[in-house]
Amino acid sequence: MTDDLRELSGRVSIVGVGDTDYSADWRASRANDPEWTGRDSNGLALLAFERALKDGGLTRKDIDGLAFAVGPTPTETMVDVLGIKPAYVEKGWLYSMMRNAVHAIDEGKANTVALVYGYAQKSMGVEYGGTDIQQGTLSYYYYHPWGWSSQAAHWAMTFQYYSKKYGYTEKDLAAVPVQIRKHAMLNENAVMRTPLTVDDYLASRYIVRPLHVFDLCLVNDGGVCLILRKTNQSRDMPHAPVKIAGWGEYHGRKDKWQNMVEQSLQPYLKISGGQAFSMAAMTHRDIQHLQPYDHGSFIVPLQIEGFGFAKPGEGLAFCQDGRIGLGGELPVNTSGGMLSESYMQGWNQMAEAVRQLRHEAGARQVEGIETSMFCFCSSTGADTFIYQRG
Amino acid sequence: MAEKRPNRVLGPYHDDFWAYCREGELRLQKCGACGYISWPATDACFDCGARGDFSWEKFSGKGKIISWCTFEREYYRGVLPVPWDTILVKLNEGPIFLSNPKGFAYKDIEADMPVKLAFIDCEDNAGQFKLPVFERA
Ligand SMILES: [Zn+2]
Repeated sequence: MTDDLRELSGRVSIVGVGDTDYSADWRASRANDPEWTGRDSNGLALLAFERALKDGGLTRKDIDGLAFAVGPTPTETMVDVLGIKPAYVEKGWLYSMMRNAVHAIDEGKANTVALVYGYAQKSMGVEYGGTDIQQGTLSYYYYHPWGWSSQAAHWAMTFQYYSKKYGYTEKDLAAVPVQIRKHAMLNENAVMRTPLTVDDYLASRYIVRPLHVFDLCLVNDGGVCLILRKTNQSRDMPHAPVKIAGWGEYHGRKDKWQNMVEQSLQPYLKISGGQAFSMAAMTHRDIQHLQPYDHGSFIVPLQIEGFGFAKPGEGLAFCQDGRIGLGGELPVNTSGGMLSESYMQGWNQMAEAVRQLRHEAGARQVEGIETSMFCFCSSTGADTFIYQRG
Repeated sequence: MAEKRPNRVLGPYHDDFWAYCREGELRLQKCGACGYISWPATDACFDCGARGDFSWEKFSGKGKIISWCTFEREYYRGVLPVPWDTILVKLNEGPIFLSNPKGFAYKDIEADMPVKLAFIDCEDNAGQFKLPVFERA
């Protein structure tokens, strides 16, 4: 941890948040309505952006920075779609873009940066496994000759190893999607709001055994926008600013199986989380709300362990009996995460952290919280952020 | 009769791996700079990043199953049936190798079950090849 990063802690805040109608779009896409022609990524990005502007009491003229991840859309098109003329632009991956935007704002390259995401993955028919995948992360396509592919299979291998090592069953894992579904039921914009019980889970089909359909995230359309500016210029805005207090990043090399299966991602998470804690001058005891990446249910307990909330092998025990629920010791994915709210590659989870820290989450609000932690955790690394009510 | 399989990744280094398989050998790349064994085949060491400095280390093919999973959803419709079993084998020499069980199935597998290497005749769009799989030791 450099002193520079320590000084950046809290200097920039999230002042606007917007997202799209995940639930309504999902229902429309499944209603066999001939009028429904699907969404497109640019349109979703625009809707989220306009809502974030309104939320922050801002106009397009206030936005002089743009960082976006909207499919293959080039910068010229994106600025046209959004109707802005930013001086600072980055097209890329959310987690490095958020860090970079904080630096850019601090260095005066931009005053107010919109981070924009839009992905019409459902309308586009995106798949996360199978022979069509021929590029990207090596493990997604290299093992085709052995019939092994998909995001699901990564977590199936990881959970199988962990469950045998520490003596867990599928029923123990059920606690994670069941709890997160309970949260989604309190969120009107969540895609999946049907009650889910442990029995429903156990009776459901396997995708990649031992994982059931409820262990895997949705594929749906949506967009999210977060607007950032200096905390000391965020005081007279409609909402309490949400400070970006710390971050950490770690991406593994060497053997994926060793990192992911044998070590349960713990090295990634400990390093990434440790950096974030250090930058924020906090420990896990200061964290009141956790938004762990949940494109697979099983990485939730792994993140709980990795950040020190539970001892190695005890992360899944920690997920039992409502301890990760509202009113529990560490409420997790309170809007329904990506398992039940919306699969926005973590962006919706950041939006929820903002709403919780503003104390605007309504029926699912965790009372009086001041801190929240988000992690983008994958089979190759972890990007962690700590947010604090300003 | 060769089993139809989804396509391999081919090209420099990958072709070497499959050529050794054709000879009935499981060989993986050992870095000349740091000694690390990289798998899947690569042009740069997964540990130190050194490029192009490899020897192909021969493996005994003995190991144990550390994890396993079975595809119930058809990701390879029309090519592979479901349920489709896959195993993760920790080779005695250390590296971890994803493969398929030969002569046993999901219900037979236990953690740390010893296995040994076998090759089966397969084919993909690029032609016939020998695929490394594992049977009970
Ligand atoms: Zn090396």
